Amino acid sequence: MHRLSYLFFRTIILSVFMVSVCMASTTLYVTSESADLKSESTSSSSTIAELERGTVLLLIAKEGRWFRVATQESQRGWIYRGKVSEEQPEVESIDEGEDSIGSLLGGLSGSDIRADAADSSRSIRGLSPEAEEYAKAAGTPRQSRNALDATLSRKVKDSDIEAFLKNGKVGEYAD
Amino acid sequence: MKNYNPSFSKRSATNRRGFLKYLGPFLVLLSSPAFAFNIFKVLDPEGKNEEIQKARQAIEGLTGIIQSAEGLDYKSEFTIGESLALEGFQRYGLPLKNDRVQKYVNTLGNAVAKNSTRPEIPYYFVVVDSPIYNAFSCPGGIVFLSKSLVKGMNSEAELACVLSHEVAHVSHKHALSSVRRAKFFEGAAKIGTINMDGQDGRKYRDMVGNLQTVLFDKGLDKAMEYEADQSAMDVAYRTGYDPAGMIRVLKMLKKKEATATIKGSWFSTHPPLSSRIEKCNHWKGKYPDANQMARVKKRFMRYRQML
Repeated sequence: MHRLSYLFFRTIILSVFMVSVCMASTTLYVTSESADLKSESTSSSSTIAELERGTVLLLIAKEGRWFRVATQESQRGWIYRGKVSEEQPEVESIDEGEDSIGSLLGGLSGSDIRADAADSSRSIRGLSPEAEEYAKAAGTPRQSRNALDATLSRKVKDSDIEAFLKNGKVGEYAD
Repeated sequence: MKNYNPSFSKRSATNRRGFLKYLGPFLVLLSSPAFAFNIFKVLDPEGKNEEIQKARQAIEGLTGIIQSAEGLDYKSEFTIGESLALEGFQRYGLPLKNDRVQKYVNTLGNAVAKNSTRPEIPYYFVVVDSPIYNAFSCPGGIVFLSKSLVKGMNSEAELACVLSHEVAHVSHKHALSSVRRAKFFEGAAKIGTINMDGQDGRKYRDMVGNLQTVLFDKGLDKAMEYEADQSAMDVAYRTGYDPAGMIRVLKMLKKKEATATIKGSWFSTHPPLSSRIEKCNHWKGKYPDANQMARVKKRFMRYRQML
C-alpha cells in the first residue's frame, strides 16, 4: 500500500513537471496590430512595453483570459489572449511601388499618395487622384464621388477604439 | 545507325551549359519580379544603360501575369477598391446621413480589424441607405453595409461578426482572386502609363465590371464565404465578442429570406444559410467560453434606433 501511494505521488509530480515543461516551451506571436505587455492580468495595470505584431513570446502561465509571457529581451508581464497566437503571422509592409496602378493611370506620381496608410491613427485623405481619373472615364455621378470622398475622410483614432472597448467592457476591458 | 558527331555533341553540351547558366537566375527573377525590379534599379539607377533596360522590359513583360491580382501592391489594390466603391454607391445607394451611426460602425469595424489577419492596412466602413440585406467589401478595405442588415441585428456582437466577415474577405484578397484571369492583369506590369480613355483603360473598366458581377450578383466562391465566416468568428472572439453572433445573424436572415428582396442581396451572393449555420455551429465548439463573451446589446440598440 505504501509502495502504491509512493508510485501515485511520483506520477503526479512527474505529470505536473511535464505540464510545466510543455507550458514553458510554448512560443507565441503577437498577431494583432500591436499589444500592451501589462504588469498584472488586468487592463488597468501599468504597461511595461508596447509589442509589435510578430513579436516572439514565451508562454509561462495562463490565468483566465490573460497569459503570463516573457519577451526575448526577458521582459515578463501579462498579455490579453486575443492578441497572440501560436501561429506566426505574415507581416505585410505597405509598399507604394513604382509599378502600381497609380503610375499606370495617366502616369500620376504616387509616392506621396496614401503615404500615411500605415499611420496608427488611420487618418487618410479622401478620394485618390486615380479614382478621380476612373470616375471621369466611367462617367460616375458627382454624388457617388462625394460619398466615397466622405467615407475615406473618416478618421478613427486608436484612442477612440480603446475608449469604445472600455466603455462596452469588451475583451481586455471585461470585468 | 546514327552518325556520331563529336563536335555537334560538344556544341550541344556547351549550349546546354549556357542555357542552364542563364536558366537559374532567369527563374529566380521570374519567381520574384519585385526582386528583379530592385536588381535593375541597383544595376542602373538612372535607367541609362540600354541593355539593362531591355532586360528589364523583357522581365516586366514576362511577369505581367505573375504580378497580377493577389500579387498586386497595396496601392493598386486600393485603387481597384475605390473604383468598385464608386460603382457600389450607384448600385446600393448613398451613405446614411447619420454621422453618429457611421462613426459607431467605423470604430467597431476598426476595432475588429486590428485583430484580423491583415491589421496593417486602414479599413473604412460605410452604412448605405438601402432596403436590401447586404454587405460587401472592396479590395483594399472599403466595407459596405446596408441599413436593413444592421436594422435586423440585435447586438454589437452580431455586428462585430458581420464586419469581421467582410474584413476577412479583404485580408484573404478574395475579390481579387475571383478576377485574376481578367485581361487587364496580363499586361499591367509592362505598361508605364495608360490612358483611361484608351484600350488599357477599357481593360481596367472591364475588370472592375467583372468585380461588380462577382460581388453584386454572382457572389464569391462558396469556400471563400465559409472561410470568411470561420475567420469572422475567430476575429470577433479575439476582440472580446461572442462569436455565436455570426450564427444569430444568419438565423435572422433565414427568417427574412421568404419576404426579402433576393437580387443583389446576401441571399443571392452567399451560400445557402442552412449550410452556413451548420458550419458555424460546428466552429463554435472551438470557443467553450463563448457565452461569457461580450454581446453589448444596450449600446447597439441605441444606435439601431437612429436608423
